[in-house]
Parts: sequence; C-alpha cells; structure tokens
Amino acid sequence: MKLSDIMGHAGLAGFAQVALVLFLAVFVAVAIRVFRPSRKTALEAAGAMALDDAPREGDSPTSRLGAIA
Amino acid sequence: MTSATSAQLESFSYDDDIVRKFMWATMLWGFVGMLVGVIIAFQLAVPALNLGIPYLSFGRLRPLHTNAVIFAFAGNAIFTGIYYSTQRLLKARMFSDGLSKFHFWGWQAIIVAAALTLPLGYTQAKEYAELEWPIDIAIAVVWVAFAINVFGTIAKRRERHLYVAIWFYIASIVTVAVLHIFNNLSLPAGMLKSYSIYAGVQDAFMQWWYGHNAVAFFLTTPFLGLMYYFMPKAAEKPVFSYRLSILHFWSLVFMYIWAGPHHLHYTALPEWASTLGMIFSVMLWMPSWGGMVNGLLTLRGAWHKVATDPILKFFVVAVTAYGMSTFEGPMLSIKTVNSLAHYTDWIIAHVHTGALGWNGLLTFGMVYWLAPRLFQTKLHSTRLAEAHFWMATFGIIIYATAIYSAGLTQGLMWRAFDATGRLQYPDFVETVLKLLPMYWARALGGSLYVAGIVLMWYNLVMTWRSRPATYQVPVYQAAPLPKKFTDPVPALPNGAWARFQAAHWHRIWEGKALTFTVLTTVAVLVASAFEIVPTFLIRSNVPSIASVKPYTPLELAGRDLYIREGCFNCHSQMIRPLRHETERYGEYSKPGESVYEHPFLWGSRRIGPDLAREGGKRPDLWHLRHFENPPAITPKSIMPRYQWLTTNALDYSVIQRRVDAMAMLGVPYGGIEGGRALTQAEAMAKEQAARIAANIKAEGGPDGMADKEVVALIAYMQRLGKDLRMPAPGQTASAQPAATPAQAARQGQ
Repeated sequence: MKLSDIMGHAGLAGFAQVALVLFLAVFVAVAIRVFRPSRKTALEAAGAMALDDAPREGDSPTSRLGAIA
Repeated sequence: MTSATSAQLESFSYDDDIVRKFMWATMLWGFVGMLVGVIIAFQLAVPALNLGIPYLSFGRLRPLHTNAVIFAFAGNAIFTGIYYSTQRLLKARMFSDGLSKFHFWGWQAIIVAAALTLPLGYTQAKEYAELEWPIDIAIAVVWVAFAINVFGTIAKRRERHLYVAIWFYIASIVTVAVLHIFNNLSLPAGMLKSYSIYAGVQDAFMQWWYGHNAVAFFLTTPFLGLMYYFMPKAAEKPVFSYRLSILHFWSLVFMYIWAGPHHLHYTALPEWASTLGMIFSVMLWMPSWGGMVNGLLTLRGAWHKVATDPILKFFVVAVTAYGMSTFEGPMLSIKTVNSLAHYTDWIIAHVHTGALGWNGLLTFGMVYWLAPRLFQTKLHSTRLAEAHFWMATFGIIIYATAIYSAGLTQGLMWRAFDATGRLQYPDFVETVLKLLPMYWARALGGSLYVAGIVLMWYNLVMTWRSRPATYQVPVYQAAPLPKKFTDPVPALPNGAWARFQAAHWHRIWEGKALTFTVLTTVAVLVASAFEIVPTFLIRSNVPSIASVKPYTPLELAGRDLYIREGCFNCHSQMIRPLRHETERYGEYSKPGESVYEHPFLWGSRRIGPDLAREGGKRPDLWHLRHFENPPAITPKSIMPRYQWLTTNALDYSVIQRRVDAMAMLGVPYGGIEGGRALTQAEAMAKEQAARIAANIKAEGGPDGMADKEVVALIAYMQRLGKDLRMPAPGQTASAQPAATPAQAARQGQ
C-alpha cells in the first residue's frame, strides 16, 4: 500500500474546517495576550521604538527592556 | 548610567553606504521595469511596436516587466528600508559589511542575468518564477547571505525587544526562501533549460501557492515592516496601536499562506482546495484593513502636515491603495466574482493598484524621506516631489480606471448570450477590439507614472550633488545585551493560567529571535502542508485519463518554443466548466489531461483565446500563415507577428536530451512505440516534421518547412486537447470520435 492510498482513504474533506479552527485558536490566544490592560504601557513604549535612531542617554538594554516589559 | 553599565559600553556606527547603494538601485530598476511596462502597454495597442524583433515581443518582455518591478524595483526598495531600519531598531551595525556588499552586487547581477535571459526566451514559464535554474540557484545563495546578515545583526543587537517591523522582515526572509526553493525544483535539460518536477494540477497548485505568497511575502509583509518604521518617522509620532500591529502580523502570517488556490477557481483544481483558498482569502480582509487603519491613524494629530509634506502624501495614498487592494483581493477570491474577473484585465488592474499604489508610492515616500538623511543635505526641491506625487497619483487613476473598465467589458462580453441562447460575441477578436481605447488610456497613465520617476531622478541627483565632501558617520555607544535573558517582572503569579495571562512566555519569545523565527516558519510550513500534501498524495484528486499520452518529440520541441515565446502570457489552456466557456472553446479541461505537463501551461490571462482544444481545428497552413502575420488571417488581431519561426532552423540536436529529462520526471515514454523516443527522439521528430511540411505544401503553402521551428510549434498546436477525443488503449476507434486523416497523419498513425 502506498502513502497516496492511505491519504486517499483518510477522509480529508474536513481539512478546511480543521484549518479554520486552528487559525481561530491562535488568533484568540494572540488577541487575549495583546489586549490585556496590563500590557498597555509596555506595548506603547515598544511602539515608540521606531522614533529612536540612537541609544538614549543613560539607556541600557535592561532599562529598555524594563520600559517595555 | 550605572558604573556597571558604562564599563560595558560598546561603540558602533551604522552602515549607510549600503543603504545608499540599494536606494540608487531601486530608482534605476524602478525606471527600467516600469518603462518596459509602458513599452508593452503600447504594444498591446500597436503590436508592430515590437519592430519585428523577437527579443522585444510582448511574450518575452512581459515577464521582464513583472520581474523587474517585483524583484528589482520592489526588491531593492525592501533592502534599502531593511538595511536602514534594522540597524537603528537593533542598535547595531549590520553583522557583516562583506555580506552586505555581496548581497548588493549579487542581487544586481541576478537582475542583469534576468534582463538578458528573459528577452532571449529562457524561461520556466511560471509567473514571477520565470528565471531558469542557474539563476534560481544564485537567488538562493544571495538570499541566504542576506538572511545570515540580518539574523547575525539580530544576534549581536543591543536592543532586547524586536520591534514589529523586524518581525515582518523575519517572516518575509524565511517564507520567501521556502517558497522560492519549493516552487523552483526542476530538472535541468540544458544549461538554461529545465522542466518543473511537478506536473499539471500539482504544478499549478505549487505555482500559485508560490505566486500568491510572493505577493504576500515580497510585496506585502516587508513593505508593512517599512510602513511600521517609516510612517511613524515621517509623522514624527509612534504607530497608532502597537497592539494592533502585533495582531496584524500574526493574522497575516497564519492566513496568507492558505490563500493561493483562489488563483485557480473553476480550473482542474480539487473543489475543497479551491474553497479553502477562498475562505482564508476573505478572512484576510480583516487583518489587512487592521493594518491599513493602523497606518492611517498613525497620522492622528498630524493630518495638517499632509497638506504640505509630499512624503506624507505618498504614504497616505500608498496605505489607502493597500486598503483598496486588500479589499478587492478577498472580493476577487469569491468564486462567483472570480468567474467574471479571472483571465480578464480586472486582475491586471488589481495587481497594478497594489504595485503602483502600495509598493510604488510607499517606496517613493521612503526614498524622499531617506535622501536628505543619507546625502546629509536638504532635498533639492519639495515642489518637484509634490509634482511627482500628483503625476504618480493621476497616472494610477488613469491606468486603473481604464483597465478596470477593460476587465469588466471583457468579462461581460465573453459571457454574453443573445436571445437565441447563442454567444453574443462568438468571435474573440470582437471582445479585444472593444478594449483598444482603454489600452491607449492605460499606456497614457503608465507614461505619466514613469514621467514622475524621471522627475524624481532629477530631484535625487540634484540633492546628491549638494552632498558634503565627506559623509559624517556618527558613533554611538551602548551596552551589549546580557547573554542570559532575565525577565524584569520580579515575581510570576502561581498557576498556569495566571502565568499565561502574565504573558511571560511571549516576552521570552520576543527576546529570542531564533525561537521566534522557528515559530513563524512552523506557522508557514504547517499551513502549506495542510493544503499541498493532500493534493499531492490523494489519487482521486487527479483521475487519470487512459487516452492521454505524452507529447511526441516534435510536439515537445514545439511546446518548448511555445514557452520560449511566452505564448502563455496571452493564451490560457484551461477551459472552465462554465457554459459560456464550453460554448466558445469546447469540452472543459480535466485534471487528468495535464498529468504530463511539466510545467503546467494553464495561463492566467486571455489577451487571446484559450487554446486547450485548438488541436485539429484548423489546417497546418492556417497556423503557418497565422504565425507569419496574424491580422492577415484574423483581421484586426493584436497578436504580434512571429515571422522568425518560419526562417529559424529547428534545433533537432536538443530534442533527445529533453525527452530524456521528461522521462526522468516520470513521463512514460518507455511505453510508447516500444520506447523508441528514448533512443530515437530526433529521428521521430524529423519524420513527423516531414509529414507536417508535406501537409503545408499540399495545402498550397511553401516548401522546405521541415527544418524550421514553425513545424514543431504547429505539431504542438495541433495536439492540444486532442487526446480527449482519442480512443483509450483497448478501445476500438469506433467507440470514440474518429480522427481525421490529417489528424492521424500528424499523430504519426
């Protein structure tokens, strides 16, 4: 028996629905994680990163991380 | 600054020289690529503008135009923005100046190779993946160098958090590599000739998985990264919602990869795959608009600047074009809408709204923003930049209005029936002639857009001329990242759910670029596997047809000429199961008909009619005369002349090697005529050519055509769609419609 025979009898008509559920689960997880109120300050700080071309005075990776975490 | 931190400070500067190089390359190839587009736009209105030169014919220049705009113009624009923003977002110089230079010169060499080989007719016949195998290998090598350079920079960064633009870059780099490698797997049959390892339905599926995601991960995600970096820069405000940008990113990465099959609605693709592609395409609308809204709202409180700042004008219209394209894309993926739009100019209009509006205007805005900073001087003229904006915008409007009208006109005319139930426009050329005024308008709109680029060139050169004698290179200081990541949240709550809510895990991901990259890759690969594996493995997806046989050696040579001339750019070979199509062209196409098609040649557009059932419809001499001068046979046809086919000698010496390559790919030449084609392909081709040449002479045509390219192409044309009418092995001929004597002669029976 070939792999193509096994796949042919596997009943994969529901693949589209499985894919949809998979995506929805990931989407909900990311949405919950992103929109928690406790993340607001951190993410707003991260959103401003594009405006900083150079390291800020008195800056360190830890302090930057602290600012966004 | 603490004493501990200051003790670790590292000095660094950014490499802007590479950014300047990529920026000039962007402008150069933007002009060239779009100029070629204008040339072929005029050729559609006046075919003689190819000057009778094979290298300038529409079929060969069209892929040059698309490749130049996508990979040369947009590609260099992406690299310009990535090299500039990545260094600044990561607070680190690029990992290796040597790799940066290798990337730059390697990419330009690839573009030059494309510009030489495509007009010469070397093509794989897969849209946006036309380049032949040695160039494909070079692309993979250069892309890997680029990836190493970016990931190396991420590894030595001095900023823990990866800004969302970097996420978009990572997704693009990884996915483009996967797409490029899998879609271009082919078997070489010569130095610049290869056959796709996939055939028919599988090849089509793979191609449009690639084709759609080339749009997604070459023309969308990297440009979104640029938008999230340069839009806040130009507006001098942070992005409207960083949260929305994260949602935007993950939604796009998960969804885009599924959408490809909408390019193949109503074709021989399995129904489930088609539906899956449609559903995910419609879902894509939401995150895309989330991104558009996020971009536009970044200008909150700064809208007054738009009135005076041409850079913001470019960005606003670019993001609006992104919104329009990403609304229209999902709409076009709905099967009923697609049945009207597919194969028409509507798709061309959709593509150009995205390419000229989104990619083009975003790039111009970015370059105008970068030029004074990179040349360390003021922009020569804001008024000229303003003029460029209006020229580009009106150019797009003229172009789009004309071509949307053309697409709708074409689609509606093709499907129109009269009161007696017959096709209202049975003659295909009638539907073409209606479009000519719109083709002129399109050429005008395109010319205006290119004229804007000329203005930009002048502005940039003048800006460059006022640069300082030596560029200043600021040196920054910052501490390196500690090797071990310590989450600054002092105490994590107890319990798995509480920890999930605290999102500790995601902060860890954000700090670990490698893990992040792997997760993105998994998202892309899982989605791809869900769609592609069943199509490749389920037998029932492609029912075989017993009467379908491999091409004869001469037909195969003719097919190679069909590919060389780019005939698939104007003619489809895929009749959809729609009444107006079967009325016009004949029996709809079956998946089993394409099982030996390496590569598939279904096409995606009908500037000319479908050819899937062309075989046996007309005499050989008709085809000869038609290739020589199409309007002489079909009055007012806009098909260009291919007179060189009747004078060029057919290269019989390569035929055996090509048959061998096909046999290696599984085409069963061994089972036909005792496997004669495996050893005597050249002799078989000559025998069939002699018969066709005799036919041509007997029909009143010229003598001595047996060694000319045209006989091979005629052999191929006369074979198209005929297998379906031939008896299956074991069946008597009487059970099937009998072949005419001329057809039998062509088949070598």
